[in-house]
Amino acid sequence: MNVLEVQGISASYEDTRVLWDISFTVKKGRLVALLGANGAGKTTTLKSICGLVRSFAGSVRYNGQVISGLPVHKVVEMGITLVPEGRQLFPKMTVEENLLAGSYLKKAKGKRKENLDRAYAVFPRLAERRTQMAETLSGGEQQMVAIGRGLMQSPDLIMFDEPSLGLSPLLVEEVFRVVRALHDQGLTIFLVEQNVRQAMKIADYCYVMENGRIVQEGSGRDLESDPKVREAYLGY
Amino acid sequence: MELLPQALVDGIMLGAIYIIIAIAFSLVYGVMHVIDFAVGEWIMLGAFGGYYLFQWTRIEPLLLLPAVFVVFAAIGYPLQPLIHRVLSGRRGNPLLMGLVFTFGLSLMFRGLAQTFFGFYSLSIPSRFSNGSFFFQNGGLSVTISSVRLTGLVYALVITGILNYLLKHTDFGLGVRALAQNRDAAGLMGVNNKRTSAYVYAIYVGISAMTGVLIGMILSLSAKMGPDYTTFAFFVVVLAGMGYLAGVPAAAFLLGIIQSFFLIYLDPGYTLLAVFVLLYTILLVSPRGLFGKGV
Repeated sequence: MNVLEVQGISASYEDTRVLWDISFTVKKGRLVALLGANGAGKTTTLKSICGLVRSFAGSVRYNGQVISGLPVHKVVEMGITLVPEGRQLFPKMTVEENLLAGSYLKKAKGKRKENLDRAYAVFPRLAERRTQMAETLSGGEQQMVAIGRGLMQSPDLIMFDEPSLGLSPLLVEEVFRVVRALHDQGLTIFLVEQNVRQAMKIADYCYVMENGRIVQEGSGRDLESDPKVREAYLGY
Repeated sequence: MELLPQALVDGIMLGAIYIIIAIAFSLVYGVMHVIDFAVGEWIMLGAFGGYYLFQWTRIEPLLLLPAVFVVFAAIGYPLQPLIHRVLSGRRGNPLLMGLVFTFGLSLMFRGLAQTFFGFYSLSIPSRFSNGSFFFQNGGLSVTISSVRLTGLVYALVITGILNYLLKHTDFGLGVRALAQNRDAAGLMGVNNKRTSAYVYAIYVGISAMTGVLIGMILSLSAKMGPDYTTFAFFVVVLAGMGYLAGVPAAAFLLGIIQSFFLIYLDPGYTLLAVFVLLYTILLVSPRGLFGKGV
């Protein structure tokens, strides 16, 4: 069953066209990756799914229901969670308050305690820093809070925007380990990444984006053996 | 010299009221990014609201505060979407648009008030207006009028309620999320429009109640608005834009300046003194008294 079905969306900022006819699907329980270099339009794609950017053509369906045109808080209410690029934490809130903000939604409120325990279990470091202001955390810790905050929403579909960006190699490993663990638990995941090599390893299916268009798709293994992808993204 | 303690005490009690004005004003700025030029007019309209409500019901004005809050919150709530429309869309420079729009509102309110309420200074009689407490220690004595004490209690109660609302409820969590990162708040499911409308309603309601208190302690008139708009600016800018913890100090300072001019000098020069001080402090520390504003 298709959880997310994006059909021919196009978007622009002011007069600059950034997305051309983007289509892809994410099936239930799958980990689908959208790969591409900086500026390819990956973040804009995510934002137009969430309603943070308005696409001028095409449609987005979630569990068969059209969600394009809905305001962001409505989209989120339906069960889609975005862990945004650059963490986007609430800087003057403590770690725990940031996590609690994740359970602002009615449906997540009931599971607040349970989800908080889960977030602390996934990232024990956050439990140690519960009362620390988010702005004083390191980049890696901030990414943990952002992911934890997303999990607090009890998502049906979780989308990650460049979760490994700007992290040390060790933390990159850690983030990918967590994403894979969530996938193993049966969560439907849409992962947007520049770190093509790592993302391809854990994804069930990948789309490659260049200059606002999807130029290639296939399983991680297929793409890995594709000479064009190898040359452009893997460097060998 | 024997009046010094009196001036200080009066100033602190007046300052407490300014804290409330400034906190509500900052809240709206933080969430909606609007500098509301009409803040003084809400205070003025609230004062008249309390005055006429008292004339009509003859109930102790302090007990009328909740009613004033409800009425003015109900006026503010539908106004917020209008302000939002002015700020968003394709118009440039939202901050300036907000200023111009609320400035227009303030002119309109003041004009209407002068037409309907006249130009005279009035005051709201309360049963607390007459009583007072007298303290003496050697040559120094202080009289605390019970109506000013009421203002202090009012300020403490409202601050307590707001603090509870912001720090310990989900509504408050949404408000703070919205103020700190609007897109991320949306991603948490916070409804920007509705939450902003509630915040504006609360702000208008609180400003109106504060107006009633000012009408009891000092006086009210249709042209009082701009003074209080200036005071709100003074406190917020001096505290450091967006730095709530700096508000009490700035508010007390304003209250003390005002009571010194009232007791020692000519109250007509209060605004002048306020501006000279603001200018001097900002010259030395452009981000407010504590250097922590934006």
